[in-house]
Amino acid sequence: MRTPGRQHGDEAELIDRSRKGDGEAFGVLVERYQRRVVGVALAVVHNQDDAIELAQETFVRAFENLSKFESRSSFSTWLYRIAANLAIDFWRREGRHVVLHGEDADNEISKLPSSQGDSFKEVSRSELSARLSRALEELTPEHRAVILLREVEGMSYDEISDILQCPRGTIMSRLHYARTHLRSILKDVTGS
Amino acid sequence: MAQCSEIGMMLGAFEDSELEPNEMQEVAFHLARCESCTGILADYSTLGRDLRSIAPEPSLAGFSGAVVARIDRIPQPVLARIGRYLRRRSDQVGAGLAWGCAVAAAAVVTIFLITPYAEQLANRAPRSSASIARTESEAGAGANQVADAAAGGPAMADNDSHADISRLESENHSLAVWSEPRRDTTVIWLPDQP
Repeated sequence: MRTPGRQHGDEAELIDRSRKGDGEAFGVLVERYQRRVVGVALAVVHNQDDAIELAQETFVRAFENLSKFESRSSFSTWLYRIAANLAIDFWRREGRHVVLHGEDADNEISKLPSSQGDSFKEVSRSELSARLSRALEELTPEHRAVILLREVEGMSYDEISDILQCPRGTIMSRLHYARTHLRSILKDVTGS
Repeated sequence: MAQCSEIGMMLGAFEDSELEPNEMQEVAFHLARCESCTGILADYSTLGRDLRSIAPEPSLAGFSGAVVARIDRIPQPVLARIGRYLRRRSDQVGAGLAWGCAVAAAAVVTIFLITPYAEQLANRAPRSSASIARTESEAGAGANQVADAAAGGPAMADNDSHADISRLESENHSLAVWSEPRRDTTVIWLPDQP
């Protein structure tokens, strides 16, 4: 599991130099956080090319708006938030999915087939990969983001809450929905 | 014992260790007696492992370079651009400045050290090339001339002309020396011996 990025002692200086227009200093910050920013974008859009393009846009936006960055929050969280917002906006512009909130999401969970008591059965690795990818595609970007930020990026609920700017309870609810949904799809496949 | 529907909502957070301690305990007690929920928890664990195993690792070669190139194309205020240019050249400028200061300091020290010798050389040069006139008859013109010389006034008669003593080199009771640059002559006056 990937671990969250650490704060670096020279980060404040790099940010200060970047604020003054020093592209090389900002390049160091890009190197430091590029993988995680791509990971956040990828968690939402689920497409590598789009994620890389969005990650680049994230850094450009961050550079342009460094004057607005306040050191009260960590630089990495600020970056990931920009990435998540850009990715969610991108996804909505594409108009591929309807986003469910609150009770709508809960209703969707109740419509899912019951999965209690069934465990996954053996499937081949490539088949599993294909089915999981399709199952992830069926999730809304918000639900996909929370499950991938948690499981792949290893972020805590509080970090995800900061990045997606929604309450911790909503994160827990979305995670429950995403897990139940993915498990039910995989159960249907492997159980049939 | 809590119902499976209640515990089911907390299973994911239990797997993530994100519940409060009392909730963790409640779920743990339930799991000890419920195979169904234990199965779901195992599925969540497997699901997480599978998601990590299929997560793509996008190639980031050239990523930061592309970002910096995009940033370089962003129009910036003139002052910011000048600042960036100066910072990029700062190493070269700093090194040049250091060398310049070192050379200047060396030059100042050298001048300071050689100046007294240069003055001496400059003063000696006419003397060495000039013939030293020591004419007691002229010198015998008297102490009055020396006194005039000391005062910077006209002093020495040379044939029909007068010479101005421009500088008195040495002055003591037994010897007087002065130069007459325009005539390239150094005069040494010795008083009459008793």
